[in-house]
Amino acid sequence: MKRMRRLSHGLVLGLLGAVLPAEGARAQAPARAQDSASRAGAVAQDTSGRALYGAGCASCHGVDGAGGGRGGVAFTIPVPDFTDCSFSSREPDADWIAVVHEGGPVRGFDATMPAFAEAFTPEQMQQILDYIRTMCPDASWPRGELNLPRALFTEKAYPEDEAVTTLSAALEGPGRVVNEMLYEKRFGSRNQIEIAVPFGVAELSAGAGWEAGLGDVAIGFKRAVWHSFRSGSIFALGGEVVVPTGRESAGLGSGTWVFEPYASFGQIVAGSGFLQLQGAFEVPADSDKGEKEALWRGVVGWTFAQDRGFGRTWTPMVELLGSRDLEEGATVAWDLAPQIQISLNTRQHVLVNLGVRLPLTDTDLRSSTFVFYLLWDWFDGGLFAGW
Amino acid sequence: MKPWITRVRAVRTTVIAPVLAGAALLVAAAARAPHARTGSITGIVDVAGTVSMSGTVVAPTAIDMSGDAYCQRVNSGRQVLERSVVADGQGRLADVVIYVKEGAPRAAAPSAQDSVLLDQQNCMYTPNAVAVRTNQALVIRNSDETLHNVHVKPSRNREFNIGQPLRGTRSRRTFGTPEVGIAVVCDIHGWMHASIAVFDHPWFAITRENGTFTIADLPPGDYVLEAWHATLGTRQQRVTVTAAASAQVSFTFAAR
Repeated sequence: MKRMRRLSHGLVLGLLGAVLPAEGARAQAPARAQDSASRAGAVAQDTSGRALYGAGCASCHGVDGAGGGRGGVAFTIPVPDFTDCSFSSREPDADWIAVVHEGGPVRGFDATMPAFAEAFTPEQMQQILDYIRTMCPDASWPRGELNLPRALFTEKAYPEDEAVTTLSAALEGPGRVVNEMLYEKRFGSRNQIEIAVPFGVAELSAGAGWEAGLGDVAIGFKRAVWHSFRSGSIFALGGEVVVPTGRESAGLGSGTWVFEPYASFGQIVAGSGFLQLQGAFEVPADSDKGEKEALWRGVVGWTFAQDRGFGRTWTPMVELLGSRDLEEGATVAWDLAPQIQISLNTRQHVLVNLGVRLPLTDTDLRSSTFVFYLLWDWFDGGLFAGW
Repeated sequence: MKPWITRVRAVRTTVIAPVLAGAALLVAAAARAPHARTGSITGIVDVAGTVSMSGTVVAPTAIDMSGDAYCQRVNSGRQVLERSVVADGQGRLADVVIYVKEGAPRAAAPSAQDSVLLDQQNCMYTPNAVAVRTNQALVIRNSDETLHNVHVKPSRNREFNIGQPLRGTRSRRTFGTPEVGIAVVCDIHGWMHASIAVFDHPWFAITRENGTFTIADLPPGDYVLEAWHATLGTRQQRVTVTAAASAQVSFTFAAR
């Protein structure tokens, strides 16, 4: 899903730390924290992240972060296991700090998780979080900050557990409406498999009647081969196999298997901005049924969050899409796709993206298309949880 | 050490003490100059009385604080008793909220209000019951060196839950809507319960350790008074207040 959202003031330190090593700011943090704490009248003698975790978190989350070693707390709901990298790596600092600052309900979690806004300074929360981050012992899990917002077309580099239904409809020319159901499943720290099932209705040509049915099903694999939280970068290699399940005669399928290797790159820019790039080849098994094609996609965007950085996210972005058949004399087709992704619920694991794909070349042959997706990050909870 | 720890030793009393209640009331009335404080308003009087319980007062059980080493240590050498019913040897009840439920005149919001303190000390709430006016600040403080969370669960105001990990951590909160019996719990220390009452007028009181209360400066009129207790329920009485004398009211709850 999305991610990368800005929190006000010092809360964004962790994100900035990803691109701009903020050693100076970090060094000053303890002094400021003590000032604030003494203003509030609180007595915090040891302000290390570990000590602050011990004072504020261990009673419920356990000294070890796994929920063990705690006393007889009065609640029975389970607490998350911070030592489980699969859980603790996948959300950015901003989400964790939102929950520490505002309490569980800010992300649709249980109200038993209290708000610590008046107890800890933003710097102290960051120190606590830095300590919690050490509980996952395996650095191969890419940090949630690198999980950049999903564009309509550009494949992201971060491995996901999500379901996406995408609807596209031609805005001019012969009628065409395509719906694609996509299911993505992460396994291990870096890998993801996916299956995409399209179906649609189309007018073959104006007045020639409509065809409807299943399109070509695609099965894909992706691996984040390199990532760096420090530089805010992630790089993945992947591929898709497109199975000719759609009726070629009805225009619903290509009639051949197609192999599509690709590379994806994501980069955090200045905290809440991002750049994502993808390059791919499409190689049909039957060269009579289609040309080899090279395609490249790029997206830039920026995430804004409401309610002091704790609320709904709005991510306007724009994609530039290029493709070219790999034969002599072929021309490059360019498209532009402005769009906006919006988180729908409090948990922020259900999002929509609305945009249009506008041809920049061959505009007499290709029509503008409205594109919409509904994304459910199912690892974060049920579709109707956390609203 | 808080006085309540040693105070609650009462076992088995069946006596309601209207005589004692009356005496306490006279003492309370004599100790104050009831009509002299607000010069511009004439005829206001105090309503005072006692709240008791009938039936067998069950001895409160001792709290097991072994789940938290700090709580156990600061209370070592003494028995901390559970506080769902705090009654003295004569069945007189502390922590009962008494307030004008019907007939309260329109009250202007005071220009400046002191805040009310709800403290957490030795892993117990002090006091057990607090009352504030709407938009009056309630200061919630942790005086312990252990994490408390303060989970406030209203039905008409907004729920909140704050973590107070350090000694001296304090938060100010206000409540915009009148509501009696707002539960306060610590999700970490299951024995910690308190209540908050919110009123849009100043005519309320909470019974003291000896079961007595005084609602000050009530104008003459017909009122319905309600007594609210966290576990024993509510009692109501009609009261007619005249300018002639302080009114006396006593409530009796049945033990459960």
